Amino acid sequence: MGYLAGFPITLKKWFEGVTTKNYRAGKGGKSDVKAPKPDRLHGRHVLNRYEDGLEKCIGCELCAGVCPAKCIYVRGADNNPTDPTSPGERFGFVYEINYLRCIHCDLCVEACPTEAITESKLFEFSFEDRKSAIYTKNELLVDEDGKPQQLPWEDWREGEDKATSGWMRATAPSGDSNYVGKVAWSGELGYGVRQPESVELTIKPKSGDSK
Amino acid sequence: MTATESSAVKATTGVPFTLNGQELHAEEGELLIEACDKNGVHIPRFCYHKRMESVGMCRMCIVEVDTGRGPALQPSCMLTVTPEMKVETESEATKDAQDGVLELLLANHPLDCPVCDKGGECPLQDNAFAYGPGESRFVEEKRHFEKPIPISDLVKLDRERCILCDRCTRFASDVAGDSLIHFIDRGSSTQVNTFPDHPFASYYSGNTVQICPVGALTAAPYRFKARPWDLTGSPSTATVDSSGSRVLVQSSQDKVVRIQGVDSDAVNWGWLSDKERFIYEANVSEDRILQPMRRAVDGSLEPMRWNDALKQTSEALGKKAAAIGGARLTLEAQHVWQKVLADEFSVVSYDASLGDDVSADVVDSLPKATYDWAFNAGSVVVVVGQDLKEILPSIYLRLRGVVKDGSVELVEFNYKSGSLAKLARKSVQSRPGELAKDVKQAFTATPGERSSDLNCLVDTDKPLTVIFSRPNVAESADYLTEALQVIQSVRPDAHFLPAFRRGNTVGAQLAGLTPGVREVATEDEIIVEQVAVVGRPTAEILQEAANGEVETLLLLGADPISDFPDKALAEAALDAVNTVIAVDCFENPSVASANVILPVAMYGEVNGHFVNSEGRLSPLGARVTAPGLVRSDLEIAASLAKTAPQSNSDAQSSLETSHMLGSEPIAWDLLELSSEGARIKTPTKPIQRVKADVPTVADGLRLVIGNKLWDQGTIVENSRTLAGLCETFKVRINPADADRFGLTAGAEIVVKNAKATASVPFITDSSVAEGVLWAPANVRGFDPRSFVTFSESVCYVEVSAGEQK
Amino acid sequence: MPTNNYLPHLDGYVDNEGPKIVTSRFNDPNNYKISNYKASGGYQALESALDISPDAVAAEIKDAILLGRGGAGFPAGLKWGFLPDVYPRYLVVNGDESEPGTYKDRLLMEHDPHQLIEGCLITCYALGIETCFLYVRGEMALAQERLAQALNDAYAQGYIGKNIYGTDVGIDIVLHWGAGAYIVGEETALIESLEGNRGMPRLKPPFFPAVKGVYMKPTIVNNVETLSNVPWIVTNGADKYKEFGSEASPGSRMLAISGHVNRPGVYEVEQGEVTFRELFYGDNYCQGIRNDGDVKMFIPGGGSAPWFFEEQLDLPLEAKAVGAAGSMLGSGAIVVMDQTTDAVKACLRVVRFFARESCGKCTPCREGTSWEEKILQRILDGAGRPEDLDLLLDVGSQISPGDYPKAAWEAEGLEAVPFPPKQTTICPLGPSSVAPITSALRRFRPEFEAKIAAGRTTVGASS
Repeated sequence: MGYLAGFPITLKKWFEGVTTKNYRAGKGGKSDVKAPKPDRLHGRHVLNRYEDGLEKCIGCELCAGVCPAKCIYVRGADNNPTDPTSPGERFGFVYEINYLRCIHCDLCVEACPTEAITESKLFEFSFEDRKSAIYTKNELLVDEDGKPQQLPWEDWREGEDKATSGWMRATAPSGDSNYVGKVAWSGELGYGVRQPESVELTIKPKSGDSK
Repeated sequence: MTATESSAVKATTGVPFTLNGQELHAEEGELLIEACDKNGVHIPRFCYHKRMESVGMCRMCIVEVDTGRGPALQPSCMLTVTPEMKVETESEATKDAQDGVLELLLANHPLDCPVCDKGGECPLQDNAFAYGPGESRFVEEKRHFEKPIPISDLVKLDRERCILCDRCTRFASDVAGDSLIHFIDRGSSTQVNTFPDHPFASYYSGNTVQICPVGALTAAPYRFKARPWDLTGSPSTATVDSSGSRVLVQSSQDKVVRIQGVDSDAVNWGWLSDKERFIYEANVSEDRILQPMRRAVDGSLEPMRWNDALKQTSEALGKKAAAIGGARLTLEAQHVWQKVLADEFSVVSYDASLGDDVSADVVDSLPKATYDWAFNAGSVVVVVGQDLKEILPSIYLRLRGVVKDGSVELVEFNYKSGSLAKLARKSVQSRPGELAKDVKQAFTATPGERSSDLNCLVDTDKPLTVIFSRPNVAESADYLTEALQVIQSVRPDAHFLPAFRRGNTVGAQLAGLTPGVREVATEDEIIVEQVAVVGRPTAEILQEAANGEVETLLLLGADPISDFPDKALAEAALDAVNTVIAVDCFENPSVASANVILPVAMYGEVNGHFVNSEGRLSPLGARVTAPGLVRSDLEIAASLAKTAPQSNSDAQSSLETSHMLGSEPIAWDLLELSSEGARIKTPTKPIQRVKADVPTVADGLRLVIGNKLWDQGTIVENSRTLAGLCETFKVRINPADADRFGLTAGAEIVVKNAKATASVPFITDSSVAEGVLWAPANVRGFDPRSFVTFSESVCYVEVSAGEQK
Repeated sequence: MPTNNYLPHLDGYVDNEGPKIVTSRFNDPNNYKISNYKASGGYQALESALDISPDAVAAEIKDAILLGRGGAGFPAGLKWGFLPDVYPRYLVVNGDESEPGTYKDRLLMEHDPHQLIEGCLITCYALGIETCFLYVRGEMALAQERLAQALNDAYAQGYIGKNIYGTDVGIDIVLHWGAGAYIVGEETALIESLEGNRGMPRLKPPFFPAVKGVYMKPTIVNNVETLSNVPWIVTNGADKYKEFGSEASPGSRMLAISGHVNRPGVYEVEQGEVTFRELFYGDNYCQGIRNDGDVKMFIPGGGSAPWFFEEQLDLPLEAKAVGAAGSMLGSGAIVVMDQTTDAVKACLRVVRFFARESCGKCTPCREGTSWEEKILQRILDGAGRPEDLDLLLDVGSQISPGDYPKAAWEAEGLEAVPFPPKQTTICPLGPSSVAPITSALRRFRPEFEAKIAAGRTTVGASS
């Protein structure tokens, strides 16, 4: 009977309440109400277009260069002058993000000179193999109306397709990381140019040089 | 290595000057910017380039200089250091001037760095970051041009980005001698452009891309392929010809995407020909053979396994086999192939060259010159054979430089004047069969008889270097050999430089893969003892094969049907043998008749060493993984050694040794080490006496088949951008001959002899010797080798006017 | 109806009273013909020069203190002395007269081509030169025609060529037409152009023409007017020459006066004897400002010279005095502007000339001049910003930076104009564009500010 001595904890836990929470739900895990996503949530990327349908990505690879996880692979190519994919000479011919590696740091968004890449509020991924963890332009690029693609497993909530272009700077325009100011959101996804930033250009005094 | 060490030590003698308050010394006549560099003070610059004459255009290197008349702003690239000069590179005035120049340069410079190929390695970016104002006050609309415009098949020009530093235009006119790009317009609309209807068709256009300090010039093959920060590079050597230009092979995502010239004092000074620079495109060609193939019964190719392929090869090599080719392999691969063929399979017929180049045993024995020795001021260079621009283009630039500034005297002997004919002291036009006679005339005539321009050849203590190449594949090579022998007998002190078309020909000689007397070093003596006569010239191999005496023919990257002087013989040989085994990367006319194709790694995919025509040993770097099931030559040879019937021997051990030594089959005693790398010493002995045939005199013109840089070579044909550069077939005739035969420009002419008749386009060209019909080898349209009978020492053709078009 | 709209060829020479040195034959309309020239004593100076040693001729010119008339005012005799003992050497005549407001050399070539040729021959003899290049501006059709004819005639009569006057002296003169670039008036750019290259200046040092000039050989580059003085000096002697003009600047000058005066034209004026006021208002000269107005500003020495205002009217017409006052007499082109002139527009007009004529070699000049032009144009278009004025000065200081000798301007209670300028460029073209800006902006800043203010109200400062 000695072996039964191994079971008290198991039996005890049997009769306790369930502690696993519905990760989408609010406190306590039992509500049907989904937990609100934080304003500054960094989710799955989208590749944006201009109003006229041209892609914003110019294939400059700055996002790939800055990526600390080395999860972005970009190749540029010459635009066809008569039927361009993006304005200018060059467009992003290949654009791939490996979500097994991505840490959602948003440095790619910071680095992008054209606001081609921004992050949405979608954090759910479902992969069965490595290949499906690599999102290509097929998944990332917004549609002709500038709306991001809603992949079947993703938790899209009301209004989020408009907020996906939510883009903010972590640093001041001058590049100073001491920047404090209003977080400024760019224009609506895929709809033209970002409004001028409504920021207060106050530079927080660096520690140590307070008068 | 001593050179770099000594430059780090500050000079204590020379011209005294003051740099930022420090008392220093510079060399006599040294430019200030160089003196500052040597002393660790960097002055920003755009237009200054150490291999070109300064122009002082960009004004970026302005510093405050006081020569005793008060401080003034002077461009340091134009100023030689004078005694007691006081230089301030950090002063307020200097900084203001540099800041101002950068603001002005950036005023009209587009902010398209993210799409610019130069972005990330751009001197303008770097200098703007280090010395620039940070922000622009320029609110006006920037200057606009159409962008980019192709100025040649290889180079695109973006005039908006151009900062007018004059580097590309100076390179084109001063270094390359192709003044095809120039400034036009004035003021802020000054721009670089080509002349109307004259593209920048230079063999050297890629260099302008490399020296452009902004992204104004971009290379079509590299354009948008990668960004500088994802490139990794390996130092290597260009193998398309035997010049041995030092390069940096750069790759991104395991693909070679760019080759940059490396400034090597001893070899190429940083310049490359476009062939050396853009040859990597073939690596990713869709037509590349990526797995072993066998020829099916219906003639189509079908994949096979490596084991089967090797087994089949091994079996075939066991039966009366011969091998052709191997002059483009690494030295290690040549060494191991030679071992495997000779020792494992007892093959006695092999030749690395294809009978269309200078014969190897001639070259073996000659005292070799280095480029530095040949181009040293005060020496004389004799070019015998073809235009060096077509054969060793990057070395041609160095020769041109020293001939242009008058420090070296040049005498040419050829059938078609070379590109330096106008600068040469004398350009002697000869005719097939008469080369040796004309050379002899020039070297042995009494001072009264010969032109005074030839006085530099004899009765002088100026060092003499003979740069020679096979002048004509439609003629016996003996005439060249005899000509060299004449020179050696008149000037025993003369040094020689072979200009081989195929890269590692000297390596093949050292590895014993060329026919001739094979020599090895003994312990106490570098010069060498005769071991055995090995190999057999390609011509004999093919003749035997055509006679049915060879069962298996192994092609080591060789295309005898395209290259061997007698095309019919090559075809007959390939038809007659039972099995043709091709070790190659593409299908070409010869590979098309192969029974088994072993896919082989290409440039940038293998490590090894290369020996250039000077005998200089330099590394070949593997930058990327060979694609598909492709294997390197070394691996293939080693695998064959294992399957060989009597395997146990030297090849195995020598393979292992070469791996252990970092692939170094050369005896160290044979190497002469210097700061510029190792050079292989070669034994010196007189050329064996050759008596070439006296040419039979026949009517008509003597056929000369010469080489062009761009031809239908296998690799060039499979490079996307380069394939279009090969010209279409046109023969060239001296205008006097055209008049004599009543040929009118614009019409085709009929060329015929006993072997063939053809109607071909022609142009008159006064650079072609009288009595000569000059035809390019292996270009589109027509193959002039169909006129050649290999056994005749000179090939005559008759020409007549064709039908008027 | 005329079928074309070509402007009639204007002569522009005004025969004022006073001593005549280079224009002494201008009253003969056929003087360009060799017969007329010889009838009035032509080619006798050459003959007498050939009788004495070359060194004696050179010494005579040096003694006469013949100042260069091209702009810099450097004594010709001294310049000749810089030639190293290297042969062959060349004489280049700078006939590419294109400074805005200057047209005296054209008259010398049209009216008296033989005088110039004789001057060249004497100079070549004095310096042991066998080849002389006459570089004439591309647009001067009549001058080219008459010079070409004169050269042919002189060759035919043996004044040029081998064995001149039976001596063993042989001199060739080559006529070369420019292609119409202002910068080619700069001596090193002229040499580049002469060699068949794009006319862009060379840096001095190391390319001083006297040491490394045409084909890298020693070369003397002299102005047309300078050489036209030579026959007279040889004929009459240096002492006689020094009787005219001031001690530092003997002889006379040809001054081309244009602008708002009643009688514009080219006058031969004794150096240092006349003031600007006399020149503008005197009956012998320009006879006053149009509509009885007053001078607002005037350019004393061609477009590249800093401007003068009424305070400087009493300065004598002499290089030294003008230089000390912060400008230059340059090539003798005086442009007079009356009170109706818009300073901003005048400034833009001059700056635009330099922006268009910049050869494109040096970054500060190429980009700076066109930036200045754009800013001025923007101010005139009503889109100026208050900070533009300091920006203009700052861009200017990137072309010619640093502290300037505060010349005599300061003595007269004025702010110094950057002259002579320090420069970040090879040649003075870039700094030339700065001169009008600093002149106008320092003097008439309120005018600029008014333009900017008006622009912001009319255009609407929405941007």
